[in-house]
Amino acid sequence: MIERWALVSGLRGDLETYDLIQRDLKKTRGVTALFVLGDLVGPERNCDALLDRLKNPHRGDLKPDCIYGWWEEQLLAERGFRGERKADALRLSQGEDAVSALLNTVNPSHLKWLASLQFGFIELDCALIHGSSSDVGDNLTSETSPLILLDRLTRLNVNRLFTARSTKQFHLELTGGGINSQVKDLNGKREQQQEVPKRSVIGIGAGLNYTLYDIGSDKTHFLTAGSKTNPKGKGFA
Amino acid sequence: MNHAIISCLHANLPAAEAVLNDIDRQGIDTITCLGDLVGYGPQPNEVVELIRKRGIATCQGCWDEDIIDGLNACECSYPSQLAERRGHLAHQWTDDQLTDENKSFLASLPTSLRRDRLLFVHGSPNSQHEYLLPDMDAFAALERVETAGADILFCGHTHQPYVRELRDGSIRVRLQNADHGNDQGEELTLPMRKIVNAGSVGEPRHGSTNATYVIHNDATDEVEIKEVAYDVGRTCQAIVEAGLPKVFAWRLSHGFEFAEQAEDASHVCER
Repeated sequence: MIERWALVSGLRGDLETYDLIQRDLKKTRGVTALFVLGDLVGPERNCDALLDRLKNPHRGDLKPDCIYGWWEEQLLAERGFRGERKADALRLSQGEDAVSALLNTVNPSHLKWLASLQFGFIELDCALIHGSSSDVGDNLTSETSPLILLDRLTRLNVNRLFTARSTKQFHLELTGGGINSQVKDLNGKREQQQEVPKRSVIGIGAGLNYTLYDIGSDKTHFLTAGSKTNPKGKGFA
Repeated sequence: MNHAIISCLHANLPAAEAVLNDIDRQGIDTITCLGDLVGYGPQPNEVVELIRKRGIATCQGCWDEDIIDGLNACECSYPSQLAERRGHLAHQWTDDQLTDENKSFLASLPTSLRRDRLLFVHGSPNSQHEYLLPDMDAFAALERVETAGADILFCGHTHQPYVRELRDGSIRVRLQNADHGNDQGEELTLPMRKIVNAGSVGEPRHGSTNATYVIHNDATDEVEIKEVAYDVGRTCQAIVEAGLPKVFAWRLSHGFEFAEQAEDASHVCER
């Protein structure tokens, strides 16, 4: 039997999009888990209704497992949940108005729940993180140096890293290669050879664009909620 | 031209003096220090003042950082919780001893120094607390050097001197995305890079009591690891007389890390 994960991110308070994804998932065979990889909130709209729905799923909803993303990190920092840190990254990139807008979109009653969310999940041999093992804001794309991608995989010792920060959908597979190194110390010299392990980084998309992952066959399907495309149409082994 | 790189002096004045004398004898006048002037040893003010007096370019080590910022940094690198407790004891003692002027000097140190394509850091370009061990994953090691935009990365922190050359690297990738479903395979050729660890002047852990440092020739890129004998007994006696944990003297007189079994082997730092 097919067993699939649904991977969603970048909802940014958009309950309508979340509802469309839930409807899609009801019609899709084999989806056993729904992971929401952060950016539940954002500055564009009030996020309370979406947060209520994520915390209290409707009957028939696939229950979401959520982690925090870059926008939650900014919100929680500004609200004093990250020690002395504030929403400096947001302030620097989008200005004071964006910080104020973000604060106004989330009722403080949700903060404790948002602060309880984890940085990421390790499931089977996969890491599910908003950015990467390096940082919640780490913006990995298909153009990122494979050396950096391999580093992010190595830090967690996983074979697949599902990331959301870039908002892009891609599946980049490391298929081969290697490196030689020579270490010289006071005891002499020694040579080492190391091969590139077969590992992947998968960008899951954002908003209406989400990803299905078949854990048995290691296939990813890039989908758009509400469209007619069926998982077979965009499946990648 | 030859230049010398020293690291991890750890408040050990006899070792610092012996190494600087050895460098002077060779006529080398460019010296770079990779930090950890203080911690563990009994002469923190004397060592800081020696470096200041000589005008040696220095970057900040993890101990220097912690003395200034307090023990907020993650210290999971301690091999056991007992070792961590001893480290905290030494931290408090050092904090009590250091003059305000010397603390200000430590606070003024940069986290890295760069000369053309040579980068000097204490631990790694990411953090003063990250260990670049000689046998760490070769791709991860290369990533540290390459991302920092250096050809040669000089570091310390491990107290074990080594030179690691990373070469003949490549990574093959295959890309699939939502817009272009077809496979796009390509191969990235990785550059040759080098990591040079200077070991430790004041608290060697490479199996010998000799202080270590390195000499790099910037014309040929050759690196020589140097060992210098010094009066270890004098420092050990000063450690005991200062009331610091006696195990610091014991390990200095053996040249390797002493660590008991952790009380809780599953300890995970949550700081």
